[in-house]
Amino acid sequence: MAGYALVRLSGLSLEEFATRAGMHPDLVRRLVALGLLEPVQDTSGQWWFAAPQLRAAARIQRLRAGLSLNYAALGLVIDLLDRIDALEATLRATGARPPRDAARGPSATARCED
Amino acid sequence: MARDYYDTLRVSRTASAEEIQHAYRKLARQYHPDVNHDPGAEERFKEISEAYSVLSDPDTRRRYDRFGPDFQHIPEGYESYVGGARTGGRASPFGGFGTGGINIDDLFGDFFSSRGAAGPLSGADQEAELELSVEEAYQGGTRRITLSGLGTPISLDVEVPAGVVDGQRIRLAGRGGQGLRGGAAGDLYLVARIAPHPRYRVNGRDISVDLPLAPWEGALGASVPVITPGGEAKVRVPAGSSTGRRLRLRGEGMPNPQGIPGDLYAEVKIMVPRKLTRRERELFESLRRDSAFDPRSGT
Repeated sequence: MAGYALVRLSGLSLEEFATRAGMHPDLVRRLVALGLLEPVQDTSGQWWFAAPQLRAAARIQRLRAGLSLNYAALGLVIDLLDRIDALEATLRATGARPPRDAARGPSATARCED
Repeated sequence: MARDYYDTLRVSRTASAEEIQHAYRKLARQYHPDVNHDPGAEERFKEISEAYSVLSDPDTRRRYDRFGPDFQHIPEGYESYVGGARTGGRASPFGGFGTGGINIDDLFGDFFSSRGAAGPLSGADQEAELELSVEEAYQGGTRRITLSGLGTPISLDVEVPAGVVDGQRIRLAGRGGQGLRGGAAGDLYLVARIAPHPRYRVNGRDISVDLPLAPWEGALGASVPVITPGGEAKVRVPAGSSTGRRLRLRGEGMPNPQGIPGDLYAEVKIMVPRKLTRRERELFESLRRDSAFDPRSGT
């Protein structure tokens, strides 16, 4: 975990983060230990969670509950989902269309109303 | 929109518990909102979870088979199904004598709460394609769009940037997956798709359009009108322009809210009359006699 802070760190403390994420602080600690959440640590050893970590926490909760994944599998799934997002963004930048998974069926499309 | 639970899980009414679990796991993987960014996926996932919740428990399955979707309103009689059967120490959603039905949010909550945690849960981000004509992309502006492919179509007002390019994402904050128990909603990303156009070919912010010319216009030069998405423009055709020559109109392509607009390229396309008048034929024959021009020299 990074963090020799030369400037004052901003973000959420462990307690604030746990409250906003709807998680028990012990669960947050566990997720940090597993590398699924990544706060920055200041020189006094205190953790500071950046706001995007809240979205990460929500996704962890959704995946864990919805698919009954254990933490090891969770980590892999999250890595893979992030990798897919990055690849799709690269594809978009080249103008190509990412392949649509046929198994998912028709996708939602939007059109301007006249 | 309560669908038949067996249809939802795509199993027969005589499916075994194992088959039901297998079907649920396969569908859950496919429609989990973090894996499937389709705006309709979250709703499907909830349906799948609801169906599995009822069909995976032999008691509720039996009551569903017997009484149909309203089974939760039927008093349980003396079947024992007290609170402790569900996780998290929450009161049984199936309990009570005629005391109202299942609280659907609680039911979904079972599938979205880790070990009975009852805090707010954010919704996932979603993604859909927004089809735009070249003209709509050129103008931009606030547009009312219809998002279809879900259960019921949704109407949204979207700020389309003028000159939006193919593949560009427009973020609609809070329009994505629904949060639970007061959790924040996710975002909806619309991926712009510029539809093929009969006249314009769009490449990034540049637009190409055919510029039909008469042979004398190409040979002598001319000032010719061309229709662009922004209206009519005049192209100055230099003398000696043959088919394929690209005449660039700087800045007449797609606008760019963050910088330099694209260019419009008018591609010369020399056209000849299909049928010649007698006079035209005479003139062309004169040219053929008197001109030394050989278009095929050097090929």
